[in-house]
Amino acid sequence: MTGVVKDTTFIVIPAFNEGRAIGAVVAELKALWPHVIVVDDGSRDDTASVAQQSGATVLRHAVNRGQGAALQTGITHALRRGAQIVVTFDSDGQHRAEDVATLVAPIEEGRADVVLGSRFLGTTENMSVLRGLLLRTATAFTRMTSGARVTDAHNGLRAFSRAAASRLEIRLDRMAHASEIVDQVAEHGARCIEVPVHVRYTDYSKRKGQTGLGAFRVLLDYLWGRWLR
Amino acid sequence: MTTFQISAFVFLGLALAATISFRLRRQASFRVALAWSLLWIGAAAAIAWPQITVRVAHFLGIARGADLVFYLAILGMFVGFFAVYVRFRRMESEMTRIVRELALRTPKEPDPE
Repeated sequence: MTGVVKDTTFIVIPAFNEGRAIGAVVAELKALWPHVIVVDDGSRDDTASVAQQSGATVLRHAVNRGQGAALQTGITHALRRGAQIVVTFDSDGQHRAEDVATLVAPIEEGRADVVLGSRFLGTTENMSVLRGLLLRTATAFTRMTSGARVTDAHNGLRAFSRAAASRLEIRLDRMAHASEIVDQVAEHGARCIEVPVHVRYTDYSKRKGQTGLGAFRVLLDYLWGRWLR
Repeated sequence: MTTFQISAFVFLGLALAATISFRLRRQASFRVALAWSLLWIGAAAAIAWPQITVRVAHFLGIARGADLVFYLAILGMFVGFFAVYVRFRRMESEMTRIVRELALRTPKEPDPE
């Protein structure tokens, strides 16, 4: 990874009430990448101050607007700062900082416009059978609706070229944005590839994650968004 | 005229007057004011001559005029719910735009190491 790439790559982390985990996540990333943006999505804890102390630029949503909304805010800020590559990263510690380089490389080499991290091509730690099943079902659904041949559509670890990020317009504020992003990437005809990444599930991240019922609400939100277009 | 009819006419007359007054003060668009006015007038007509609803009901294959009114009321409620939901979604996305704009204006740079 060249210095130029490091300096023009911005990592966007949406975070909501993540004071316990965000410090370590930011510190781990900052050791490798200079530009880390945390979008504090109206947290009621110390997420913003912890992130700032750990070395992140912090944008704060005055009220909670959802992960999709926070991602779009962070991406817009990164683009205004002149980002050539924008990486999205989860705030709960499930991703590894060293995987970012794997996502950035294909864009740097001009082989792709969008790179999605896939835990199903890669490896997982402590993923429950139920979670795996839910994610695979959701991915099958996204493959059907978008026509994109992805293996893991709901992974928070992604990288976009400047051009691809500029064309993104996340309108689904809550969790359905993951499918929306894949849809838009497919629609824009961007060159999209998947790379294997490692996802580690901890008791903490499991508590913060979606439940089966939550997934149903995500589906409704998604269908509404598609239908309105 | 029955007591019910008298009180209904008083209520519907007030509703119509309020609708017209809203329109005159430019607080409602012409289309919206017209739609509400037609609703009040239609209701008054149905109460004055209940046979109208029976005719329309029979034409549609519904046995009683009261049933027709009941079905229309339910349908109207669903349309109303839907309109409110659409407006709610729009407000939500407008709120997101405001919140985003505020956040983008005040980025907090990292503490110096």
